[in-house]
Amino acid sequence: MSAAPAVDAARNFGPALSLRPKAKNLTLGTLLTWVFVAAALLWTVVPLLWMLLGSFKGSGDVTSADPMWFFTPTGQNYVNLFTGANNLSPYLINSIIAAVGSAVIATVLGTLGGYGLARTAFKGKKSLSFWFISTRMAPIAAVVLPLFLVFRFAGLLDTLPGLILAYLSFNLPFAIWIMSAFFEAIPPSLEESAKVSGCSPWQTFWYVSLPLTKAGMVTTAVLCLVFAWNDYAFATVISGPNSQTLPIAATQLVTQTGVDWGQLTAIGTIVVVPMILVGLAVRKWLVTGLTLGAVTGE
Amino acid sequence: MSVSRTEVQASVQPDRATRPAGSRKITFTGWLMAPGITLLGVLSIIPLVMLILMSFSKVRLLGGLRLEFAGLDNWARAFGDVELWKSWATTLAFFVSTLGIELVLGVAIAVALNRLVRGRGLVLPLILLPMFVAPSIVGLLGRYLLDPTFGLYANLLQSIGITQDVLGHPVSAFAAVVLMDVWEWTPLIALITLAGLSGVNPSVLEAASLDGASEWKKFWHMVLPSIRPILLVAILIRSMDAVRYFDIIYVTTNGGPADATKIIPVRLYEAAFRFFDLGYAAVIGIMMLVLTILIARFFVRLMGEKEEN
Amino acid sequence: MRTRAPALTRRQMLRAGGLSLAALGGLTACGTTTATTPVPTLAPGTDPWRRFAGTTINFISENTAPTAAIAANLQPFTDLTGIRVNIVSLELQALVQRVALDLAGGQAQYDVIYADPYQVLAPYAAGFADLREFAEDPSYPGVEGGFEDFIPTQLEACGTFGDSDAIYALPYDCPTMIWQYRIDIFEKYHERMSADLGFDPTPSGERTWEEYYLIAEWINQNVDEIPYGTGHQAKQHDSLMCDFSNVLWSYGGDYFANGREVGLRGTEDPGPCLLDSEEAVAAAEFYDRLISIAHPGSLGWDWDGVGAALRAGQIAMAPNWHEFAAPNESELPGKVGYAPMPRGPKGTSNHFGGTGIGISATASGVRRGAAWLFVNWATAPQTQLDNLKSTAGGGTPTRTSVYELPEVNAAAERPTELPNMLTAETMSVAWEDEKIGLRPKIPMWNECDTALFTEVSRMLAGQKDPRQAMSDAKNRIDGIVARGWAA
Repeated sequence: MSAAPAVDAARNFGPALSLRPKAKNLTLGTLLTWVFVAAALLWTVVPLLWMLLGSFKGSGDVTSADPMWFFTPTGQNYVNLFTGANNLSPYLINSIIAAVGSAVIATVLGTLGGYGLARTAFKGKKSLSFWFISTRMAPIAAVVLPLFLVFRFAGLLDTLPGLILAYLSFNLPFAIWIMSAFFEAIPPSLEESAKVSGCSPWQTFWYVSLPLTKAGMVTTAVLCLVFAWNDYAFATVISGPNSQTLPIAATQLVTQTGVDWGQLTAIGTIVVVPMILVGLAVRKWLVTGLTLGAVTGE
Repeated sequence: MSVSRTEVQASVQPDRATRPAGSRKITFTGWLMAPGITLLGVLSIIPLVMLILMSFSKVRLLGGLRLEFAGLDNWARAFGDVELWKSWATTLAFFVSTLGIELVLGVAIAVALNRLVRGRGLVLPLILLPMFVAPSIVGLLGRYLLDPTFGLYANLLQSIGITQDVLGHPVSAFAAVVLMDVWEWTPLIALITLAGLSGVNPSVLEAASLDGASEWKKFWHMVLPSIRPILLVAILIRSMDAVRYFDIIYVTTNGGPADATKIIPVRLYEAAFRFFDLGYAAVIGIMMLVLTILIARFFVRLMGEKEEN
Repeated sequence: MRTRAPALTRRQMLRAGGLSLAALGGLTACGTTTATTPVPTLAPGTDPWRRFAGTTINFISENTAPTAAIAANLQPFTDLTGIRVNIVSLELQALVQRVALDLAGGQAQYDVIYADPYQVLAPYAAGFADLREFAEDPSYPGVEGGFEDFIPTQLEACGTFGDSDAIYALPYDCPTMIWQYRIDIFEKYHERMSADLGFDPTPSGERTWEEYYLIAEWINQNVDEIPYGTGHQAKQHDSLMCDFSNVLWSYGGDYFANGREVGLRGTEDPGPCLLDSEEAVAAAEFYDRLISIAHPGSLGWDWDGVGAALRAGQIAMAPNWHEFAAPNESELPGKVGYAPMPRGPKGTSNHFGGTGIGISATASGVRRGAAWLFVNWATAPQTQLDNLKSTAGGGTPTRTSVYELPEVNAAAERPTELPNMLTAETMSVAWEDEKIGLRPKIPMWNECDTALFTEVSRMLAGQKDPRQAMSDAKNRIDGIVARGWAA
């Protein structure tokens, strides 16, 4: 595996100074930059902020014809979500089990498989890598169709194990591919010396390589978690009354008699906030993760 | 800062040397890979074979699944279906406009962030936020913002004289779903580009500045060429995802109005899970799969190039 | 760089291919040998309502007001029978998908199914149990008033398919599109409108679609407190077909020959589509004109948008489902009136959107019996009366006996405790044989429907003229029908 040539440059020239403007046009340049950055910030943050605000608005305020930035906040939307006939808690629990389950399994198997992939050279390696990536990137609509029929046969529809398996169909190849990228970044001299001092292959893996990829494992787990948690297409087909997840619950609030935007923004907030928190926690390795290791961003 | 893992890899002693070529004995690393590969095999190859079989069959659902061989019927219908080709054209338009805008904006944001001496640590996480939002929620949020009676953005548009319902007209609805995708994924491009920018050799730029090169010239002739490989990676990643996801359109326009946003995944979903025309859907699925595989091949080749040299 | 021939992968593929072929064989076998466990017999002396106590069943429904009311009022059923009911309520499109997938499997996950006549019953009639099996079985509590108590048109439209005498579903709700308007606005501007337009604008079965158009245009121009005269559910969606059909039928157009029979009983072979007739083209031309002066939001509204817009004072009138009377009355008490749809050259046509609930043919054992008890209870007169009174939603009854109750009759006038009954007088007209609008009950309707509303949406977007749109819709529908129903 290789990174793009440009990236190598950094090795030679150290930390980035790159486009920093010269002192004389610092003020104007910096000002323009800041204006642009501020616009970009508005563009990204306003919708999310609006959703967050909406979730604390009362039923009249949330759909008021004049957008309301100031209002009397209420927790009623959240209370409504967790009480009454359509209590959200089972959905929340399903979402957690399915997303965490698939993330943990994918990370464990992906770590083993990724190490194997990184440390072996065999004839079909390239084909194998290619298979992983095309599995990861296969169009969901094309995958879910036969998967549904297979699951029907296996009795896995509307079960959490079924949902976890469905998520593994994209999280597992991702985890193997990414973990192999992380293992390949470990200086081989470390493993060599471990071998010389009499470590078995397993001991080398367990005591030398594995601790060095802790960050990689956490990143992999987090990204798998995000992918699974955010899924909608698989869940609409595979899940049922016993395994409904949060994104499905959210779209169910769009009903014939109208949309309860207060509750909808509240569900949105519940779906989004945890992923933002865990996602930002691993932001140092995000580039590596999201480019499937083609770019390393550390 | 960016570090390539290639130079590290070059010196790894592959264990090929330690075992005879063509040995069928499963090695230690083989054992490590076995569980993952087996599971993935079950999860990917069986569905693939099913998909291919379905594409040549009339699929009956009621009273249990039955495949009746139908030869090339589904395939002939797909290739002769004008509506399907219109959807491919829509897909291409969607693809080009999302990717184009995301690239330009993403690079611009990355360059701007790269110029920031202070505050980047605070700004970058905020810029990244949309990437973590579930696409279905992005769609619902888009509907909330664009609702003609109470939407925040619809309100802004009305104040500048655009009173039509954004999601109700072909062009504006298409633009809206494109912009929702742009909103969600521009940060990814920016993030990748930023990683690339930190690898641009500053002393060369300094020298160019002394020669009187303008900022734009430096960007166009020096920065851009050196981050091109990384941009290519970004493009490939986003391309594969663009064929993959359809949640945003599914929860907003569901293909309308006037089929202006009916991209291929939406049509597949409709053929499969609304019309239960499963054989036909399988054909569309295979078409999409072939496209993904072509892009993926290019991607793997790109990653392999250095290694081979 | 050149990738080596993927020898390993190909071998793996072949091996795995054999494996999945075997699995497929298993699938096929599994499908054809579906059998249901018999319902346990009734022990002598037991209460027939209690014989399945302790069972849990799943009811899948569209997320409609009547189901919201049932969900809020399940306790009496559980008290009566000891059966627990899980209600899964989904948006119609999602429901259709789930039900089809469920029926495909052979073992029912959903025991009681909200059987939309067009998208669920027609394609999957074979997947439903014949309810006569239960109704005629003396070991079950009988159907109060018998099947005859259901409004006959509704029983036929919601419960039957084709030539079979089987009853697959019992009428559960009956939303029908009628003309809804702001009484206060029409009263306030009555004199001026009459003078300017030259006719009495008060909505009634006597008004024509042309007059409806003129009224809407007049309100656009002359009424300040409400921005637009009319609004429509004209998003590229099932709702667009519903809204357009009212006009289509009243202009004398139809989807297929013998449209009434195709709508009431249903068929697998409806013959050629008639959407390219002059009547249909005239209807399309009018509809195109009407939408061009409607609230601009119309192009983005499906059936949840129009009602909200009427209640929010955005529009003064709209064709909409009559079950919205209750929310109308709670937001704008005394201000919303109802009338049958305007007339076209052929008369008035009021689109029927009612649905029955049925039992999955593969439901077995105690769940099969429990499912029937629920269907029987949920469509019983007392339950319908409770739903009518429900504050959590509720629709209007599907049984004639309920309409005959004095307290229900009295509720048709304001002040009323049962706001949905405010439509009663209008409904008695709208449900008359020649005035109720029934879309084709054919198995491939879902796809035909999509072809139609896509073409109408293209017409509304200005991409096609009405004649072109109708002719393209006809050709697409003919193609779909010719292919037949696969599943």
